[in-house]
Order: sequence, then C-alpha cells, then structure tokens
Amino acid sequence: MNDVEQKLRRALRPVSPPEGFADRVMRALPERRPSADVVPLDIVRGAPRPGPWHRFSTPAALAASLVLAVFAGRHVAVQRMEAEQRAGLAASRELMQALRVTSQKLDLAYEAVHRPAPKATPEEENRS
Amino acid sequence: MIGAVNFETVKAESAALLTRARQGDGSAFADLVRLHQASVFSIGLRMLGRRDAAEDLAQDVFLQLYRKLDTLDSLEHLGFWLRRVAANLAIDWLRRASWSNTSPLHEDFEIADERGEPDPLMSRELGRLLGELPPGPRAVMVLRYQEDLDVADIAIALDMPVNTVKSHIKRSLTALRGKMIGAQLVTAEELS
Repeated sequence: MNDVEQKLRRALRPVSPPEGFADRVMRALPERRPSADVVPLDIVRGAPRPGPWHRFSTPAALAASLVLAVFAGRHVAVQRMEAEQRAGLAASRELMQALRVTSQKLDLAYEAVHRPAPKATPEEENRS
Repeated sequence: MIGAVNFETVKAESAALLTRARQGDGSAFADLVRLHQASVFSIGLRMLGRRDAAEDLAQDVFLQLYRKLDTLDSLEHLGFWLRRVAANLAIDWLRRASWSNTSPLHEDFEIADERGEPDPLMSRELGRLLGELPPGPRAVMVLRYQEDLDVADIAIALDMPVNTVKSHIKRSLTALRGKMIGAQLVTAEELS
C-alpha cells in the first residue's frame, strides 16, 4: 500500500485557485461583519464529540412524553369516573329521600282514609 | 497585503493577523484567504472535480469564515475549521447535485501545481479514480493524503468514528490499487 499512498500524496498536491480569487472573495463580503454566534468552538479541533446518549436523546424524550401522556390520560379518566360515581350516589340518595317522603305521605293518607269516623254527640244529632 | 511567496511571514504574524481580521481589517482577512485558498480550493476540486464548482465552494467557505471569525481562537483552529467546512460542504453538494452520480473529474481537472508534477498522467488518473469513490470515503482520502490530517482529526472533521475512517482508508486504498492495476497504470509487482 505504501506505493499507492506515495502516489496519492504526489497526486493530491494543493492547487492554486484561479488568479484574483481572494479579490473576488473580498468583493463578495457583506459590508459589515455580523457578530459571532454564541457557541463558538464546537466546530474546531478538540471540541468534545457528542456521547452515545446523544443519538438516543430524541427517542428517549418522545418515549417519556408518551408515558407522561398515558399517565395523565389515565389520571383524568379515573377522576372523571370518580366524579360520575359521586354524582350517581347523590342522585341515588335524592331518589331514596323522595321515595321516603312519598311513602310517609301515602301512610298519612292511608291512615286518614281508614280512620274510623268519630261518633256524633246528642247535640249534633238533635240539630240535624 | 501579501504576495504568494510571503506565507512564512504571515505564519509568524498569525496571531496578529487573526486579531486584525477580527477587528474588521479587510486586508488582514484577504491575507487569511490567500493563506488558505489553495487548500480549500483543492479540497473542492478533488471532491467535486470541477474548477468552477471548486471556486464556488471555496468562496462559500470563506464567506462562512467571515461570519464565524470571532469564534476561532487561533490560526490552527481556523485552518482546521476551513478544512472541515470545505469537506462537509463538498459532501453535501455531491449528495444534492445532479452531477453527483456522474464521474466528477472533468477534462480541465489539474493535478500539477506550480512546483511541477513528475508524473502528470499518473496524477490525473489517480485523481479520476479517486473521483469514483463515494463522497464520504473520497473526503477521507482527500483529508488524509492532500491535507495530511491524521485519522483522529479526520474523524472529528467528518463526524465519523475513528474505526470508520480507518476502514474507509483501507478499503479505498485497496480499491485504488485494483483500479490502477486494471487501468494498467502499474503492475501488481510494482505495488507489492
């Protein structure tokens, strides 16, 4: 391989760009140089490479969001069910109360209907 | 301003040059361009195989440099940054452009530089064969054998694992060796 490598090195010597290249670059520059970006040296030598966790960070975040969404949905469903149960119990209690009142009224009416009539006094008989 | 023969002087004054360019000194920035233009242009030429495309790419890289100048803390960082951006930009262009699937080396492709080339035919053919490699391995080979970067630096520049870089180099050398023998540029005995 050494000979191929030597030939490659000879073949790949730097080539100068066409005459006036730097001047053309200078003419293409904007009037004012923008200020630097905040994250400067990621792109230069020595910057740490992202760790293996980096490639899993997005799927992990998505999975965590999914789990949270499932738990939140379950929590909401449980709360809704409990509220419905509470409402049902209250309705049941009201119905029982209504039945009790109705029953009492019926008892009173029954007693009134079946109560023996009081006997008339002599004055009342004479008056009639 | 400096001329083509004053690079040593520029290197000696690199820190001052970078500082002046950051402060908005246009002539200092032009000197930085002249200092690195051959390297950046050659990466573009070996990757894209066309002088016009290589010049466009180099200009794009230096415009990006102009915007990022404040973020680079030394001339060494600046040089590495330029090589990294040039190689990655060339890979992007190759993957996007319609001519990525064609043989990238045109007839105006030049290997020989001002110093002359002992075997221009061999160099031209090697450049053509290099152009048949996929963009990623091609960039690895250009950074390794044109820019003389070591494997670790290439891995950082191209955001590849070191073992992938080593694998690209080994496979590309084997492929080039086979192509050179197949094209009768050399005999198997000469390369053994």
